[in-house]
Parts: sequence; C-alpha cells; structure tokens
Amino acid sequence: MMKQQTFLKLILLITGVSILLPIAVLLLWSVTGRWPWPNLLPESYTLRTLQELFFGSAKLPDLLLSSITLAAIVAFLATVVGILTARATEFYDFKGKSFVRIGSFLPLLVPGTVFAMGIQITLIRLGLSDTLVGVVIVHLIAAVPYCITIMTDVTRAVGQRMEEQAMVLGAGPFTAFFQVTLPALLPGILSSMSMGFILSYSQYFSTLLIGGGRVKTLALVLVPYIQSGDRALSAVYSVVFVGSALLIFFLFEALIHHLERGEETR
Amino acid sequence: MKRSYTPYLLLLPFFVIMALILVSIWNVLLQSLGYIPAFGLTTLTLDYYKAVFQQEEFLSALEVSLRIALQSALLATMLGVLLCYALVKRGHSKGELLYLVRLPILMPHAVVAVFVISLFSQTGLFARIAYMLGFIIDFNQFPALLYTENYGAAIAAYLWKEIPFVAYFVLALMSSISSTLGEAAENLGASPWRSFFQITLPLSLPAALKAFLIIFIFAFGGYELPFLLGTTVPKALPVQAYMAYTSPELRDRPYAMAMNGVILFLSLAMALLYALLTRKLLKQTGGRE
Repeated sequence: MMKQQTFLKLILLITGVSILLPIAVLLLWSVTGRWPWPNLLPESYTLRTLQELFFGSAKLPDLLLSSITLAAIVAFLATVVGILTARATEFYDFKGKSFVRIGSFLPLLVPGTVFAMGIQITLIRLGLSDTLVGVVIVHLIAAVPYCITIMTDVTRAVGQRMEEQAMVLGAGPFTAFFQVTLPALLPGILSSMSMGFILSYSQYFSTLLIGGGRVKTLALVLVPYIQSGDRALSAVYSVVFVGSALLIFFLFEALIHHLERGEETR
Repeated sequence: MKRSYTPYLLLLPFFVIMALILVSIWNVLLQSLGYIPAFGLTTLTLDYYKAVFQQEEFLSALEVSLRIALQSALLATMLGVLLCYALVKRGHSKGELLYLVRLPILMPHAVVAVFVISLFSQTGLFARIAYMLGFIIDFNQFPALLYTENYGAAIAAYLWKEIPFVAYFVLALMSSISSTLGEAAENLGASPWRSFFQITLPLSLPAALKAFLIIFIFAFGGYELPFLLGTTVPKALPVQAYMAYTSPELRDRPYAMAMNGVILFLSLAMALLYALLTRKLLKQTGGRE
C-alpha cells in the first residue's frame, strides 16, 4: 500500500491542478479569437472582447460600481448585525438565548430560492420590491449567518475584561466599546465584511427576483451570456466578476494580516 | 448589575432578520394551501400538494434535485474531509496553499458554470484531450454531461466549489484533534491510517456533518447551476417552482408555492435528522464539539 504521506501529497497536487486548470482555461477564453475543434490551444488571440467591455457600450464601470456598492452595504449591515448579536449572546444571560443560537442557523436551513419567492409579496406590499433596499434585505439573509458565526468567535476571544477596566477608569459604556473593544474586534470585523461582500456579490436568483431588473449586478449580466452560449463574452465577464471579487477579498486579507502583525509587535 | 433589556436591544436587528424569514415561511405555507386573497383564492386546502404529487414533471424534478443534492453533498463531504486531512498532515493548515483551496469558495456559481462548460462540454478541453490521446475520434463520442438528464455537469460544478468548502469548514476542528489525540495515537504505535479512521475522523464528524447539511440544503434549493447546466426535462425542483411562480396564469401560484413547501419541508427534515445524529454522536464521543 502507498505510504500515507505520498498519498496525501498526491491529493494536494490533484486539488491544486483541479482548482487552477479551469481558471487558466477561463483566462485563455477571455482573449481567444478562434479556438476550433480539436485544437488544445486557441488558433488566434484577440483583445476585442476586452476592449468592447471596457470602452464599448457595455457600461462596465457603472455595473461594477452598482455591484460593489450593493455588496458593500450588505457587508456592512450584516457585520453590524453580527457584532450586536454576538455581544448579546456572549456577554449576557437572558431568556431565549438558545433560541437565538438556533435561530442564527435558520437562514442556512431555508433555501434562498424559497425564501425569495416567499418574501416577495411582503416586499411588494412594503413598496420594497424592485428597489435596492429590497435586494439588500434578501442578500442580508444570505450573509448574516456567516457574519454572526465569525463575530461570535472573535467576540468570545476578545472578551469583556478590557472594556470593563476602561469603565472602571471612568469611560462611559459607549466610549469603552468604541475605543477599547471595537479596535480589538477589527480583524474579525474585516473578515466578516469580506465574507458578507463575497456572499452578496455572487447572489443571482434573489437579485433577479427582488431586483426585478432595476438593480443591476455582474451576476445578472453574466448569466444571459452563459445561456446564449457565447463563450468569449461569458469568459470576459467572468474574468471581470472574479477578478474584482478576488481583488477586494485579498485587500481585506492584507489589511487583516497587517492589523494582526501590528498587534504582535506592539 | 446588567440591565435585563440590554441583550434584547442588541438583538433587535437579529429579530428583524428572524421575522423576515418567518414571514417568508408563513407566506409560502399559506399560499401553498391556496390562500391568496389578492388572486381571489380564500379557501385553505391541501389540494395543491395533492395535485403536484400527481404531476409527472414535479416528481421527476423532485428526483433530480434530491439526486443532485445527495450525490454532490455525499461526495463533497467525503473528499473534502480527505482534503482537509491532507492539508493538516502536510502542514498546510495555514499559508499559501490554503488561499488556493479557499479560491473555489469565493467563486460565484455562475462563473463555476462557465468553468464546467469550458471543460466538460463535448467540444471542451477534456474532449479535446481525449481526442488527442485517441480515446475518441469525434466530439460526439465524448460523454454528454451538459444539458442532459444525468445533471453530471451541475454535480461537477457543486463538487468543485463544495469539496474545498468542506475542507475549510472542518479544518479548525480537525487540526486541533490531529495534532493532539491523533499524534498521541501514532506515538503509541497506531499506523497513520488507523489513527485517522479511529481517532481523527470520528472526532471530526460533527463539523463534517454540519458541512454536509449546509451543502445538501444549498444544492437542493439551488437555482443557477441546474438552470445553466441542466436540461429542460426534467428540471431541478427550484427551477420548476420558479417557472410556475412566474407563470402568467396567476392561479398557478399555489402550485409553485406547494413545490417550495416541499423543498422547505425536506430541508427542515434534513436539519432535524442532522440534529438527532449530532446528539447521538456527542453522547458517543463524550460531548466534544
């Protein structure tokens, strides 16, 4: 039998290749002119689709801006919900605490499609269907369970001692929270925000249904190209979609890294 | 010392979120029982559930969705746990390789659909490689995975995303177990595989089960991948439900909601099964979570 270490090494190798191969093929497709069967590589390359996207009528900057704004709002709000919920369940004893713990898992148990179709009539009545606010609400449901989990872990790790000391020294509860606890929570807040951002950024169905075409995102524009079988254009849009998501994600990661470093050397 | 209403104030936004979910569930149930005053439907009845269970289309959609969810969740959990073990044992629970493994988790489903099309279609990269190696002489001979009843492409797409998800989800628990109890077992003479199967794997099971539940429900209620990569007959259940939901015939709405009701019931049943299993597991392993 193969030695365990060799086997595990092989698994990591296969994993790495499986993850990188489709990304490489996607990048290739985004600059492909012609790629006839059965060539392993494209016959000709072009920047036409990229040009069309950035300088043509596609209005990519607007699209990016609206997708990013939406995701940033969702990331911020979901993280605020996470911070407050984590604080309540970690620092207080109250009736119904176990209900909150189970409840925070509930959005994962109700599929997003079912939730969106169920809530639409209520959002219509509230005048929120086909609006940005409505879309923010349905995206929040998808992001909140993850943000609560992340914030609960960090809140537990940071604890309440420092905040209490600040209050003993005369700080009011809000000053104590904002000046002492919040900075300590910051790495967790950033990772919660990047999670919330990615979750909102990749939503498709709920944006389609609740946004009603008024709220435009990259996912919404990409899907019809995939449906119509236009490989070059779906590849280009995918590259922009993934590229912008990863850029923002790694920006957050770099910030978190930086903060944690600073913590160590302080 | 602590004023008793403070936690409730802190939880206000959380309660709003909960209320939204409960209202949505309430709407689905009520409409599936045929109560939509706006459409002139005011009698509560189980007829719509009975009717959908008579429909050939619904039954095959249910089967398709259950199959996609079960196959992708089972395979993703097993392979994901194995990947997690490889990461832990090869010392990659931190660092660059982990960023690579996290990439698929960050990818939007629509983009993963593009990946799968460019690799698995009959003129995709894999078909070209098979041709080059002489396995096939025409692209028609490459097995059709896209737009077919087997939903192979959708399952492949879920696996690409969910195997790394499971590995990442289980990583914290498994690395703490492996570095303590797992290594202790090996030091006492257990072979690496025995230590894995008898110590590390059983103790990591709670996290693995939770990951299984999350991805099962996600795949069962997922729309984009079966919509983009699947066939028109049979559709996946959420695709079928959405079609009925957007039907110009307003009286189709209760049928759509009955389908959503079925998705909801089965998802919650799965969650219940998970809760029971976890409780049993915790008893067996002495309450470690």
